[in-house]
Amino acid sequence: MLKIAVCVKQVPAYSEGLMDPETGVMIRAGLESVLNVYDLPAIETALRIKEEAGALVDVFTMGPAKASAVLKEAYAMGADRGYLVNDSCFSGADVLATSYTLMQAIQSTEDYHLILCGRQTTDGDTAQVSGAIAKWLDIPHVNWVTEILHVAHDSITVRQAMEEEIVTVKATYPCLLSVERSIFLPRLPSLKGKIAAKKKDINVLSLADMEDQEESHYGLTGSATKVEKIFPPAKTAQRDIIQKDSQEAANYILEVIKKVNK
Amino acid sequence: MGRQLIYPMEERYQEYLSDESKMVGKADSISFPENEGEILEIIAEMNACHTPVTIQGGKTGIAGCAVPARGHVLNLSHMNQVKAFNKTAQGEALLKVEPGMTLLELKKAIKKLKTEEELFWPPDPTESSSTVGGIASCGAKGICSRLYGDTRKYIQAARVIQWDGSVKEIKRGETTVSFLGREKDLLDVYLGGEGMFGILAELTLRLEPRPKEMWGISFFFEKKEDAFTFADNLMTEDLQVEGASIAAAEYMDRATIDAIEERKEMMTALKELPDVGAEVAAMIYIEIHGMEEEAVEEIAEILMELAVRCDSDPDRAWAVSGETEIEKMRVFRHAAAESANLLIEKIRQREPRITKLGTDMSLDKEDFQSVIAKYEADIAQEGLKACIFGHIGGNHLHINILPEDYEEYEKGCKLFEAWAKEIAAQQGKVVTEHGVGKLKKPLFLQTASKDCIEEIQRLKHTYDPAGMWNPENMI
Repeated sequence: MLKIAVCVKQVPAYSEGLMDPETGVMIRAGLESVLNVYDLPAIETALRIKEEAGALVDVFTMGPAKASAVLKEAYAMGADRGYLVNDSCFSGADVLATSYTLMQAIQSTEDYHLILCGRQTTDGDTAQVSGAIAKWLDIPHVNWVTEILHVAHDSITVRQAMEEEIVTVKATYPCLLSVERSIFLPRLPSLKGKIAAKKKDINVLSLADMEDQEESHYGLTGSATKVEKIFPPAKTAQRDIIQKDSQEAANYILEVIKKVNK
Repeated sequence: MGRQLIYPMEERYQEYLSDESKMVGKADSISFPENEGEILEIIAEMNACHTPVTIQGGKTGIAGCAVPARGHVLNLSHMNQVKAFNKTAQGEALLKVEPGMTLLELKKAIKKLKTEEELFWPPDPTESSSTVGGIASCGAKGICSRLYGDTRKYIQAARVIQWDGSVKEIKRGETTVSFLGREKDLLDVYLGGEGMFGILAELTLRLEPRPKEMWGISFFFEKKEDAFTFADNLMTEDLQVEGASIAAAEYMDRATIDAIEERKEMMTALKELPDVGAEVAAMIYIEIHGMEEEAVEEIAEILMELAVRCDSDPDRAWAVSGETEIEKMRVFRHAAAESANLLIEKIRQREPRITKLGTDMSLDKEDFQSVIAKYEADIAQEGLKACIFGHIGGNHLHINILPEDYEEYEKGCKLFEAWAKEIAAQQGKVVTEHGVGKLKKPLFLQTASKDCIEEIQRLKHTYDPAGMWNPENMI
């Protein structure tokens, strides 16, 4: 049976852009947490493959104990097993350390054929973790995936939206896909699934479960970068008042759109 | 020299002559005061020339309360600030706000409060651009009134500007007035008063601890009769679990669902929800609020069993939790009203005499099944189309007639009159939470008791002897 791992993250439902000045880590306390919206289509993709071709769908998330809520949500949608990657030494991780930790967690669990990630998170916004996991595992990575064309026993064929062209890619297993939000509209959890999810266990993976147990490779110490400052971008909004007749105004708007889209 | 406060009613202010009732009024001038001092200046000027004033908020009302009949429009949407927050010795959390603050702004303001526990203001008519002043004036309650009750419970005091320009601070429990042989809190004369007795220039809202757990569940039914049975069982089954309660129970028929689905392309928030299957004949949305996770789950399990008994598949029921996800469900529910309004707007482009035809009647003496069956039979008999949605509690349904032409509109009006008389005769409410305004005034006058109308007239004469406020509303 096809084995699929999906990486998801619990993120603040909204951000006030606050950061701990000492660690450079975003302050999340007191904010409502949700499953990253970019990861929902990744779960949906896995579930569609499961429904059509049969598969085991495991979901991984790295975070504090309360992050298990996103695994429960994945259960309610139809995921089979959830893994909370949690250890005090994992906290404060940047892209490098996060991808390394997730790679260790995935590797310690199963030999997955397919790893699915969302395009990016709404808090970090780097869109780099999926590529980094693939690099650590030394497997093919296809990002910007907008369509699953064919699922075979040894490979998957997908459509990839490059900047100026659409590319059809056939990747042999094991491989990692990073999917776009548009790939599928994620299903809502069902009542039956949500109630069953509450009773389902969450598997916790700590440093002791990893192949590499060297603490300094994880978390803040294993990170190559540190956030210096988080600040809202300078407002560049510009307001022009145009007074023209409707035809001229329409042409003017068209010119502005062309200029912006260049 | 102060800034200009009063503007002639030019074309650019046309939108302020209407609200979601789709009625269009008339006015000579308009103002957008930014503080109490500016209101007083405007009122002095209007008093001097005996010009009546229509008070306006977010223009989201559907009974035409804020549609001007003549005179001046006093739009309070620029008065949207928090004035103060304090906790009383009894532990009550009180937030003083200006009346033009929208629900969305209020939610953001509450989130910013530095309190030990999360707070919220329970009245939530789902239209996030409605203003606190508008909600207070027409007594809008929203979908969670099943649990939280009337809006007035959550308004502790108000600062009222009277017809002569004097300002009165009214606190709940301090003064009563006689009304229909009973003592009524003076504050409650103004709350639900549809702006007929004075301007609510400041409101003190009572906030409550936010439920820690919230679930939203949408049940789908292939036969509408199953939905009716489910609705009736909701009212009779024992759904009491310590630590959690059903806060909302809302019905939507297929025509409503279709109207919402048609809007999906235009509304980003709706696009995030899956399509409702073509086989679905009706849906029921339920919200459970509680402080204990287990208690909320216990109610959800009872509902799941009930749904199975009523042929609704719990594997297909949408179930979400948390504020953000619940908001998606509420957007869907709110889209019911908005979609009906939009359909009316389209019809109005062909026939401008048509206004919204939506009921706000409630009757809790009968079961849901017989009430809705009666509405459906009458609509079918007249050959009309309608969207039916609303609150299951109290059988408080919003029947929105969708006339094809003026002839059908008139048929709809007659149907409304007949229903209003019938409901009044059974001691139901003809106007429950949308206000009487101008649109429902004929119905109200036909169905309210003579004593009640005379008492309102007496209060109007007492608190607005010059006939300054909101002419043509209610009486």
